[in-house]
Amino acid sequence: MIAFTDIVGMDLAKQALMLLAVDPSLGGVVIPSAVGSGKSTLARAFAGILPEETPFVELPLNVTEDRLIGGVDLEATLASGQRVVQHGVLSKAHKGVLYVDSLSLLDSSAVSHIMDAMSRGLVLVEREGLSEVHPANFMLVGTYDPSDGEVRMGLLDRIGIIVPFTAQNDYRARKKIVNIVMGTRDQEDTEDELRMLRGLIEAAKEQLLRVSMTNEQIKGLIQTAISLGVEGNRVDIFAIRAAIASAALAQRTEVDDEDLKLAVKLVLVPRATRMPEREATEEDMAQDQPPPEDEEPEGEDENAPPDEPDADAEEEQEETPDMIEELMMDSIETELPDNILNISLASKKKAKSGSRGEALNNRRGRFVRAQEGEMKSGKVALIPTLISAAPWQQSRRQDKKMAGRPAGALIINKEDVKIKKFRDKSGTLFIFMVDASGSMALNRMRQAKGAVASLLQNAYVHRDQVALISFRGKQAQVLLPPSQSVDRAKRELDVLPTGGGTPLASALFTGWETAKQARTKGISQIMFVMITDGRGNIPLQAAYEPNAEKAPKEELEKEIEALALSIQADGVASIVIDTQMNYLSRGEAPKLAQKLGGRYFYMPNAKAEQIVEAALS
Amino acid sequence: MTQTVKAAKKSSSAKATASSEAKAKAPAQAKAKATPVAKAKAPAVTKAATEAKKPSSKKKQALAFPFTAIVGQEEMKLSLILNIIDPRIGGVLVMGHRGTGKSTTVRALAEVLPLITRVKDDIYNRTVEQYVEAESGKKGAAAINPDDVKTEQIPVPVVDLPLGATEDRVCGTIDIEKALTSGVKAFEPGLLAQSNRGFLYIDEVNLLDDHLVDVLLDVAASGKNVVEREGISIRHPARFVLVGSGNPEEGELRPQLLDRFGLHARIITINDVAKRVDIVKRRREYDEDPEAYMKKCTREQQKLQKKIVAAQELLTQVSMDDKVLTDIARLCMSLGIDGHRGELTITRTAYAFAAYKGQTTVTMEHVKEIAGLCLRHRLRKDPLETVDAGEKIDRELAKVLGEAEATA
Repeated sequence: MIAFTDIVGMDLAKQALMLLAVDPSLGGVVIPSAVGSGKSTLARAFAGILPEETPFVELPLNVTEDRLIGGVDLEATLASGQRVVQHGVLSKAHKGVLYVDSLSLLDSSAVSHIMDAMSRGLVLVEREGLSEVHPANFMLVGTYDPSDGEVRMGLLDRIGIIVPFTAQNDYRARKKIVNIVMGTRDQEDTEDELRMLRGLIEAAKEQLLRVSMTNEQIKGLIQTAISLGVEGNRVDIFAIRAAIASAALAQRTEVDDEDLKLAVKLVLVPRATRMPEREATEEDMAQDQPPPEDEEPEGEDENAPPDEPDADAEEEQEETPDMIEELMMDSIETELPDNILNISLASKKKAKSGSRGEALNNRRGRFVRAQEGEMKSGKVALIPTLISAAPWQQSRRQDKKMAGRPAGALIINKEDVKIKKFRDKSGTLFIFMVDASGSMALNRMRQAKGAVASLLQNAYVHRDQVALISFRGKQAQVLLPPSQSVDRAKRELDVLPTGGGTPLASALFTGWETAKQARTKGISQIMFVMITDGRGNIPLQAAYEPNAEKAPKEELEKEIEALALSIQADGVASIVIDTQMNYLSRGEAPKLAQKLGGRYFYMPNAKAEQIVEAALS
Repeated sequence: MTQTVKAAKKSSSAKATASSEAKAKAPAQAKAKATPVAKAKAPAVTKAATEAKKPSSKKKQALAFPFTAIVGQEEMKLSLILNIIDPRIGGVLVMGHRGTGKSTTVRALAEVLPLITRVKDDIYNRTVEQYVEAESGKKGAAAINPDDVKTEQIPVPVVDLPLGATEDRVCGTIDIEKALTSGVKAFEPGLLAQSNRGFLYIDEVNLLDDHLVDVLLDVAASGKNVVEREGISIRHPARFVLVGSGNPEEGELRPQLLDRFGLHARIITINDVAKRVDIVKRRREYDEDPEAYMKKCTREQQKLQKKIVAAQELLTQVSMDDKVLTDIARLCMSLGIDGHRGELTITRTAYAFAAYKGQTTVTMEHVKEIAGLCLRHRLRKDPLETVDAGEKIDRELAKVLGEAEATA
């Protein structure tokens, strides 16, 4: 095992973990990083800098609900005749670390349970006749590869630190360094270093209460959070804790600019939903205020709590913008990941042909729990059925009706039968791909928006999901990742740029990628709904190589054909809807439909409902 | 519809209504009770019931952040308070941004709730009337003299329903331990029993499993929980104020469940720096020494509690002009709201709101303040609608008010 101190590089991640060790109330650290970057090695090495005997529990991805939350320990219960409770993984991590590798692949119900435990610091066990409260105050350390998909925002919201995504181009070189270092180093040196580090962290923990932070500094962090469009107020606390932990780690009693910068970098920037504007900070904020009831521009100050004298507030307001500018420009401009608006999308995966590795897809999802039900209605869960029958054997045998049964035979009634409940993701993912190029794009987008929204209205009943991809210019863009939320759809669909070239190939590719990701999360039925005239004119390459915009027509066609055939072979259903009155049409859209093995609809001026109908038919 | 009214009325803590209702319903329930719960088994059941108290008392959770120290989010706080004043309002759904204190606020509620009287150690939190009615109705049971029943005061229960709860723990089931050790069948009440006459809170309600939603809808509609298993047949009252919270971006709520909630409070990120600084300061002070901070807030907490109790008492004296009722109906009609639940909720909420303000006459001013809460989730959804539901309600409200003034 490689020790924390032996790992070269990943400085920011290491810093983040040290802050967490100093102040576990930061909740956790998430490290997004590409495969092979050593992120899981680092996470596991984290245990070595914590006080000895701190629990370090690794969460398996296929964890079932009862293992996660806890439940009755059957063996012990039957042996002792008393109910024996087995604590779940969440509670086993109490006062320690819960480590999840591939956090973004974790089943959504498991994520919900983790969120619940984190918000309470407890696990409420209300299952199988048990009603217990187990402490579950843990630090969550999660690593994931952003190309595997997103981590649920709700979960990220409860985790204090998100390490900005960095591409690890130099990982081979670094691996070498590690090897060299490992070879020449003495085991004892490593031990000494770890011991020192642990001592440093212990000292910092004691220092925590002595660190003070000024009002201006707190305001500065909050203003920064607002300018970055960070959702919620919980993050403010995390940012402050991070700054204080950073100061404590340096054995200071006051928070300085470096601490603030680190807090902005590790807590706020990764949650940004918009770029701050350099000059217009104040106006920008004013716009985000709910419209003040009176028209006075100074309305903001009036909302200040009465215990704060007005003059003081004004004075501070004059000071803070400068500080914020400095803070933000320093840490944001230089440290910004590729795409600050969504860390999960920061990694743009290069075209990789046909690697699938989703052998489990044909199953109906993952087994989550056993539940009462008719024997015919599903697979019988044998063990849970026996468990539920076991307590009754004694009393049933005394029942006259059961007389004549051979001694020792189990008496199982209908109501004992438990069937296996799988994670029910049997709904369909509709991936809308809308041609946003050219002049009619606005119209198409409007139709698509309507169709997406109206599909989502009914989505709950069918457990369907909807994603939206628009394509224009050089490449396609996922506007709405697979979602069931009408609110989110509306928000994402509100700003839609149109015009430019038609990167049809890129759309197909992006759609396929989205489909593959959805499959890893248990959605097996996928349908492409393409709203386009089918005339692609930008090659796939253009997305990666700026000069590759032009390509001969034949090559373009070949590329689209190859993609379409692969998508068809992958079992993705498609329909192509041509909504454009087009006298010049040369039949590209029907051809596209044919290659995708899907149906073609010609619907000039289609209404949203008609599109939905076509998709559902 | 009338059934809902009647059903909802029963849960009211207003003693007068409860007792008259109870009398009216007694025969029906007696009949229902005459199901196979054999005489011999009854004692075992009651014994289990008293013993099952253990886990609930064990569940004293860690301190909650004080309700009165929560900054902003007035809509949510008001909704919760109005539901305490009159539980018939039908609960509240709190939806909004992450990290805005939704669950903190609901969990803080317990500390400001008034006391209720229940039969001593009764796991179903029944009133004396309910208890006498149910227990005397049992086959072969002797009539119980209400004066002999011991009572106690308990805080209004707040029951937290975790997402991973299984159906048997929600509805109650047979006590496995007893069955294992002594072969006796005894009923072990679930969360629905604990939440009778109290609050049932579900965080991330939009992520709740379908089968649990079915159970909740069923019980919420009937006010009763029925368990039939292994020859045991139990039915007990389960009337609770349903409180749910969640983030709409995580998923939609099932329409039938949405419809169950009386009020819909929306919650957004506070973008006022001064307020946010205040939030942070309070939180940090609390984190440093929760008990000391609670102590500091005691007076405010008690003040609020008293105000709520006063409003509860005043509620019976509140009245409303027919003219106001007409305007409410007109508002609901112009918004195209199906059914009558909209009017009903507005009326009840306006009564509670007036009582909370210490007033005894409901005016359109009261209605104006609470109409959004009552109707927001009842508007028919139009996928392409760009106008916010709240704005739409305000617009129609202004129209109705304008017309009312014109005719006056």
